[in-house]
Amino acid sequence: MTAPDSAAARYTGARVHRVEDARLLTGRGTFVDDIVRSRMAHACFVRSPLASARIVAIDACAALEMPGVQAVFTADDLNSGVHESWYSAMGKHVPDTPRPPLAEGFVRFVGDPVALVIAGDRYVAEDAVDAVEVEYDPLPAVADYATARDAQALVHEGYPANVAGGLGTTLPDALSAIFKDSAHHVSVTVHQQAYAAVPLETRGMVAEWSGDELTVWAATQSPHEVRAFLARLLGLAENRVRVIMRDTGGGFGQKVMPMREEMCIGLAAMKMRSAVKWIEDRRENLMTAGMSRHEHGETHFAFDADGAIRGAYIDHVQDIGAYPTPWPVGTAAAVGMLFPGPYRVPAAAFRTTSVFSNTSGRVAYRGPWQFESLAREVTLDIAARHMHMDPVELRQRNLLRRDELPYANPNGMPYSDVTPVETFEKALQMLDYDAFRREQAVAREQGRYLGVGMCNYIEPTASAMSFYGTEGATIRIEPSGTVNVYVAGGSTGNSLETAAVQLTADALGVNIADVRTIQGDTAVTPFGAGTGGSRSGSMIAGAVEETAAILRERIVAIAAEHLEAAPGDMELADSHARVKGSPTNAVPLTKIAEIAYFMPHKLPAGIPAGLEASARYQARSPVIWANASHVCTCEVDIVTGAVNLLRYIVSEDCGPMINPSVVEGQIAGGVVQGIGGVLFEHLPYDEDGNPLATTFMDYLLPTACDVPTIEYGHVETAAPGPGGFKGVGEGGAIGAPPAVVNAIADALAPLGVEVTRLPLTPAAIRGLIEAAR
Amino acid sequence: MKPAAFDYHRPASAEEAVQMLAEYGDSAKVLAGGQSLVPMLTLRLAAFEHLIDIGRLAPLQGIERRAGGVRIGAMTTQAAIERSTLVADAIPLVARATPFIGHFQIRNRGTIGGSCAHADPAAEYPAVLLALEAEFEVMSATGRRVVQAAEFFAGLWTTVLADDELLTAVNVPVWEGRCGFAIEEFARRHGDFAIAGAAVALQLGDDDRVRRCHVALLGLGMTPERAAEAERALNGIRVDEVDPDEIGRLAMEPLESIPSDVHGSAGYRRQVGASVVAKAWRAAAKEARGE
Repeated sequence: MTAPDSAAARYTGARVHRVEDARLLTGRGTFVDDIVRSRMAHACFVRSPLASARIVAIDACAALEMPGVQAVFTADDLNSGVHESWYSAMGKHVPDTPRPPLAEGFVRFVGDPVALVIAGDRYVAEDAVDAVEVEYDPLPAVADYATARDAQALVHEGYPANVAGGLGTTLPDALSAIFKDSAHHVSVTVHQQAYAAVPLETRGMVAEWSGDELTVWAATQSPHEVRAFLARLLGLAENRVRVIMRDTGGGFGQKVMPMREEMCIGLAAMKMRSAVKWIEDRRENLMTAGMSRHEHGETHFAFDADGAIRGAYIDHVQDIGAYPTPWPVGTAAAVGMLFPGPYRVPAAAFRTTSVFSNTSGRVAYRGPWQFESLAREVTLDIAARHMHMDPVELRQRNLLRRDELPYANPNGMPYSDVTPVETFEKALQMLDYDAFRREQAVAREQGRYLGVGMCNYIEPTASAMSFYGTEGATIRIEPSGTVNVYVAGGSTGNSLETAAVQLTADALGVNIADVRTIQGDTAVTPFGAGTGGSRSGSMIAGAVEETAAILRERIVAIAAEHLEAAPGDMELADSHARVKGSPTNAVPLTKIAEIAYFMPHKLPAGIPAGLEASARYQARSPVIWANASHVCTCEVDIVTGAVNLLRYIVSEDCGPMINPSVVEGQIAGGVVQGIGGVLFEHLPYDEDGNPLATTFMDYLLPTACDVPTIEYGHVETAAPGPGGFKGVGEGGAIGAPPAVVNAIADALAPLGVEVTRLPLTPAAIRGLIEAAR
Repeated sequence: MKPAAFDYHRPASAEEAVQMLAEYGDSAKVLAGGQSLVPMLTLRLAAFEHLIDIGRLAPLQGIERRAGGVRIGAMTTQAAIERSTLVADAIPLVARATPFIGHFQIRNRGTIGGSCAHADPAAEYPAVLLALEAEFEVMSATGRRVVQAAEFFAGLWTTVLADDELLTAVNVPVWEGRCGFAIEEFARRHGDFAIAGAAVALQLGDDDRVRRCHVALLGLGMTPERAAEAERALNGIRVDEVDPDEIGRLAMEPLESIPSDVHGSAGYRRQVGASVVAKAWRAAAKEARGE
């Protein structure tokens, strides 16, 4: 017997209102700081004021005498409790970098956690933090990763020249020969500054050890990773650890894995008789929750006389701070492997090197390999100017056409099912590129500096790598006929609930109002990797489909018997099972559920009682490729250096859209972060390793006033996966920086300015203009 | 980000407030709208044993027209000033400066007195009141005094207020005749403290010559400052003979303590400062000429 496919998709593809919104927009969300437990204690870290020092002594006597202070833990108390500390996402066998819970013997960046105070409330905890006396013997700091390989000082003993590792190759002779032989060889070094995810909700955790079970409420993108990690960390059986998250206010990679502070809270909770709450404050978040994007790359592109790319190479160096999460060397490989982008590049190679510094550790951030696009697209614009070619023409000459797919780029990435020519064309049409160039020419005559910038990229989504390669769903149709769908979750605001509800409603042919979803509680949801790698849409769709197929078969069997019809003639729609072409010949799901649960004697032979099923989807391809083109225009005030973004256009192919509003929301969020990265956001350090942006006075995020209306052009080409869906979570943050940089560079080109260093603050732009004079 | 413990006092009158100040001395701090003080306390950049909350004292609030000027109670919120037609008509420079202060949520709580007493050199009201030569009414348990704007700001986040003194009101002179007022500033984002800003108050004679022009700078030193050399150069000049860029340059020339931070070097601020002065001059001149 074959179950029918679900009725024609009713909700998938529609702008369904988000099911989370009523709760979130009326202040009824439940975030980790909303959790209150009986006699709950509050944690606050004593953090290093120095970038590098030996810890001579820690005296907590005065703190321990303060009323309300319950404990002060140091590395001696907590670190010995560590059993294992590897991440499911990376596996046990990567050559991971050090990650002690509390600093052992040495502090290695400003903010390094040295001790943990546990007190009756956070006020007292902060008073006690001030009372813990730590004596330091200052050491020279490696403040700048760019010179760290030549520094005398070492961030970690055991890593000579401060190098954590590298991959790839020095410039191969064959490629070098191509560069020499080509009509044009363009090489630049592109520098990107440190910036960070800056979620609206900072990190946080509540951990409660009952003597038998550890219950953890976490701000996380992956509750099951938190559970697995903490179980291993503490030497507990996995089924004795329960992790619960309802709402998390943004993660963007920062909350994809527990970090040192969360290790400390887990370890400390095991020693306390009541729950321990740690809520990171904003200063801690900016100082210690990790940085990203701090890297540079020497790029090489060779072109023939007509602008066709003949070869490409990048020598990439990234700052990993003192304590990166996760192992940064492997993730950096993606920068090199994706460097050729969506272009026809016959020969390429790369090298990447990860370098320690005495600064906040590198962490994952939305499109962690984003530098490949920045370096490539900025170089292409510089090359176009060098060759006196229009940057659009240069790109069009080299973009991969659909008839060339599948295409393996020379650095090992096998692209398929992408449409770079189509998205680029669409974005240019939306702008009316030629009209803009005319407007720009007129403006230049008036002494105004307008520019247009663009970026094409190709992006791996929904990776099937190990931990990420499967996703489970449980669907429970209740005796009343309402539906609950259970998936791992890890939604940080990215609409996983809406997606699960939409997909389930269509998969079962039920009304969306009858479907609810339960996510984020490891005790009740199937194992799953959570939000990360632009995977959730595709993977949840796969999991829901696998599970719904089981239930559809049972529903149809029960309904067919009830209606005395052939199962093959049945369809599911509007919360009914009905005979195709005879809509009145139908039975409601409520009745089917009643039979399934309360009238087992009426069940067809071989059909089990109840309407519950679990199944697990296994990704069918190693990766699902997505692509997009970003085009933006700007005006630069050459007196102040201020940039005014005029238009921002994204044309993307994320396959058929589950919900266009969610897709556009994801793109917008990423684009705003990318704009922020070019114009505003920066985590600078002084030469002694002191962080200079530890509040929102100095770490500037783009506001609604700083971002133009984002225009969307959707190209929908199916991927080889569930529903044809592709990932879309990260791309906005990848495509935006190069588009904005190139727009500014285009505006300033008449002044002889080349832009290769971020961020482009007004002062920096003003400096570039002066230097060009 | 929790403040150290303090005793919170809410006196019923300004008299009671200054009694408390007399009693507690420098261990007390006056809490007005709290938009600067509270973040400093929560970041533990500052700590006081006593906070004396005067935010709800009605006699310290309100805007009234007086002979020659407008009196604004120290606890008048920036939002109330923003909405006041009296301010907009009589002292438009104050009205025009207000939207530059933070965001509306901040202006709903922030007060003119708090802004002046906090004396951030990049704040708008201190510069504007300096340009208009406002008077500051001050009281203590032992009496009252009036301080001229030119005397009030003593240094970075410092005024001439003694520990036992309370700022109760500002009196802002009304300029009559052919006047123009403008404030221009450049900030990284709207609502941020300005990288540089300038307020210009201009009065022209019937001969189109500058009768009075006051230029105050913000964000360009330890305190708001008057651009004395630029003002001297403007004095008596026909408005159409003024080179605004030269005025901007003159305004920047004597500055010796321009700040430098992650948002821009002193040199950059000097350039931006010159441009905002020129811009503010143009706008004020345009208005004074009735254009």
